[in-house]
Amino acid sequence: MVLAKFVEVGRVVKINYGPQEGKLATIVEILNDKRVLIDGPTTGVQRQVIPIRRLTLTKFNLKGATRGARSGVLTKAIKKSDPFAQYAQSIAAKKVAKKALRAKLNDFDRFRVMILRKRRSALLSTQLKSLKKNAGGKAQAQAKGGNKKK
Amino acid sequence: MPAKKRTVRIGNWYKSDDENVHFVRKRKAPRPAKLRKIVPGQVLILLSGRFQGKRVVFLKQLKSGLLLVTGPFKINGVPLKRVNSAYVIPTSTKVDVTGVNASQIDDDYFKRTQAQRRKNEQGFWAKRGELTVEQQTAEKTRLDGKRNTQKSVDAALITAIKKTQLLKQYLGARFTIGKTTRPHELVF
Repeated sequence: MVLAKFVEVGRVVKINYGPQEGKLATIVEILNDKRVLIDGPTTGVQRQVIPIRRLTLTKFNLKGATRGARSGVLTKAIKKSDPFAQYAQSIAAKKVAKKALRAKLNDFDRFRVMILRKRRSALLSTQLKSLKKNAGGKAQAQAKGGNKKK
Repeated sequence: MPAKKRTVRIGNWYKSDDENVHFVRKRKAPRPAKLRKIVPGQVLILLSGRFQGKRVVFLKQLKSGLLLVTGPFKINGVPLKRVNSAYVIPTSTKVDVTGVNASQIDDDYFKRTQAQRRKNEQGFWAKRGELTVEQQTAEKTRLDGKRNTQKSVDAALITAIKKTQLLKQYLGARFTIGKTTRPHELVF
């Protein structure tokens, strides 16, 4: 397995512990093997030293971030190419959003989701059956269901 | 400051009866339990009794403090019923109850009648027909009256419920906890 996400200047990270949990920032300077200096002027993260243990590395990099760059420099670089917006499009971000949404569901919502899932499953199985019949047993195609699951 | 003197009375008075008079608390009027933000029309989940897990619609709080709820009966079999608010989970789902008239119903509606009490006295061995003919007819009219009240209260409710998709099925289903559900994390 090739290691692709490095702790480097410009790496976009997600804070996963502490009062700023869930926020994104950029690595600005590496202090030692355990601590880095991060800053997120556009995401509301104050410039701070943080242990790497409290971060999750994303696959995005901020282009134009130099070692020890100040917040203003970072903001300019972000204006040019916004890695945070790219992150928001990524599957990882969507998973987080989905999880947050699911946690907010109330009892009636959960019931509706259950019913919709059952309906989708029923649709899928009827589609699959008909495909199998038509293809005479050589069916490979997976029918894509209609409903979007929450 | 004058010291408090503790006087011990040695009485000459001895009670002739062995009756032990316990300290009797003056009966206070029952204070209706404070309703923790439960609003008429709100869907509640019953937690105990025959209808555990059923989702019912809250109508109003009675004078005794108990909550008056109804299934509605046609949807999930829960009749007009009194329920203790401690044994209830309020959900955030609300039904429109502007057309529902439950003002006639109070605690007296749920009082046991003579005939019922007599039947309970006899208990397991009560034979049918122990009631006199007039008692039976009285019972019959009483039950018919109850059925009618149920229907009239539920009618407006059911029309309101039908307006929301899947709400009828939701009220007909029971709330359950599975292996992976974490009740303390659920948002109701």
